[in-house]
Amino acid sequence: CRSKESIRCYSVFPKHYTKPIFRKEEQDELVTNEKFQAATYLSFKPACIDETSSEFYDPLVSKFINYLIKQGKKSSARYLLERAFLSIKMIQLQAYNSCDSNDKEKIELDPKVILRNAVENAKPVMELTQIKRAGQVYKVPIPIDSRRSRLLAIRWLIQAAKEKTRTDFLYDRLAHELIQAHNNQGRTIKKKQELYKQCQANKSYAHFRW
Amino acid sequence: MNLFNRFILRIKKSTNLRNTSSFAETMELSDEILPSIYTRETDPVYHNESHLNKLYNIPSKDCATILSHGLMNQYKIQLKIFNEMSILIRKPSIELLSYLSKSDYAKPVNKYVIYGECGSGKSTLLYHLLHYGYNTNKIIVYVNHAQYWFTKPKEIKYSEIERNIIDLPIDTRIWLDKFKLLNNHILCQANIKLSKSYKWGTGANFPKDSSLIDLINFGIDQTRYASEIVAALVNELKQASRIGLCNVLVLIDNYNIFFSHYTQIKNSLKKFALTSEFSLTQNFLEITKSDWCNGQIIVTVDTAVNKDRQESHLPRYLLTKEGFEHLDPFLPINVENYSEDEFYTMIDYYKHKKLIRSLTSNGEKELKLLSGYNPYKLMDLCKHL
Repeated sequence: CRSKESIRCYSVFPKHYTKPIFRKEEQDELVTNEKFQAATYLSFKPACIDETSSEFYDPLVSKFINYLIKQGKKSSARYLLERAFLSIKMIQLQAYNSCDSNDKEKIELDPKVILRNAVENAKPVMELTQIKRAGQVYKVPIPIDSRRSRLLAIRWLIQAAKEKTRTDFLYDRLAHELIQAHNNQGRTIKKKQELYKQCQANKSYAHFRW
Repeated sequence: MNLFNRFILRIKKSTNLRNTSSFAETMELSDEILPSIYTRETDPVYHNESHLNKLYNIPSKDCATILSHGLMNQYKIQLKIFNEMSILIRKPSIELLSYLSKSDYAKPVNKYVIYGECGSGKSTLLYHLLHYGYNTNKIIVYVNHAQYWFTKPKEIKYSEIERNIIDLPIDTRIWLDKFKLLNNHILCQANIKLSKSYKWGTGANFPKDSSLIDLINFGIDQTRYASEIVAALVNELKQASRIGLCNVLVLIDNYNIFFSHYTQIKNSLKKFALTSEFSLTQNFLEITKSDWCNGQIIVTVDTAVNKDRQESHLPRYLLTKEGFEHLDPFLPINVENYSEDEFYTMIDYYKHKKLIRSLTSNGEKELKLLSGYNPYKLMDLCKHL
């Protein structure tokens, strides 16, 4: 049935369908905007399962869950991250309850802020790629965009949690790793710094990029 | 003068600091002022309707003995987060406490069955009553996770006396150990003597009028006799309370597991055993009979433990005909989900304890709709915020 004349798209929706606006603030903003008239004639896709107008929705959290998924089991990935958030809270609240009243303001209790800071601290600016020049392969440092650096940061955080000793549960290891990255410590930050060192060493190959 | 002082003390305990401006002269100010969600009355004996929708703390010195039977995982996490054991005073617990204080102990035992939806706070209510029993010097027979005896026991042994009865020696010994920890101070005070002689095998010989504590200690040391000793203990407790030596409070969580047909253990005929074939089941059914006095029996029923009965949470359905006839007559007590006031108390408590930090009115509305005012679901939703 797959003849050349009728190419079937994998997605249910054709390409001219645009992404939905599911946040209430954005919808209110659109109504006051000039583009609203044009938007009424557009066709929209339905929202994905994790895209809600809830107060507790966070785009980075749903992104992180998508990277944690194994075998398409989204619910278990979501449980993993939520349980890791609880572990973060348990660690931070125990520190909060035991410390003096002066130091209490320094301790961050919001797990979503900790996740955001951890990802922000783990983001690399450069990366090494292999480029072939005159029959030889060189590792050339190149700058990367924000999407790629976010991907690497999240991937490294999950890898670092999985590499740790298997005495604890994965959610506990992930919680420890996130708190350490929030404080600019730990395996993920070390990995980023090693990459920077290699980039520094291969600085002389930078012109191979062109 | 002494009486007057006690009266003042009673008022001090039972009222909140904010509402007692007229008693300001007689009061000693404590180190810190509690927020209005708490009540200063930490003794459940004095709890009444003025303390409704407020939290009270179990004093930290009693915590270790009261929680000696162990906690469920969800409570363990809460203990770590909140750094204290606090219980919300709710309508059914006030109702039960008033029944316990007013009932006639010369008559045969009263039985209460607590029922409600899954996660509505039945086990927490039992902790409140356990604290009451501890403070009023009662002997507490407390069973909190009987379901694990029938799914994953530590050891199985067929009874030496009857071949078709199954013993769980290690689990029984652990229960005896916890029972002794919880009631040690009262058992020493009451000094209960055995009403008849017991003899198992050559080494185990207890003549009449020997001490009950020796019997319990023997059960803890000699694991193989533990099951027989629990049976003897139940008989002796009933006998002693009939005479008036002690006051017994029986609290059994998930009581309907004793009438479930679902176990994971095979009997001597290589078929899945019924719960009635276990010696522990027979002992705890024995203590919930009506043939003794000077005691109270409070049990809970829950759908969570009974795999073959899931359609309703009402006691007649969960206990089955057999269990209903065994317990009859009893008073059913319904534990409902949170009311509007209780919901906001808990939200304030979570904010006070920094479990959730900033929450708008829209967020509260969302939590209400998602949890449906169910205590367990509310806690579950707030865990990761």
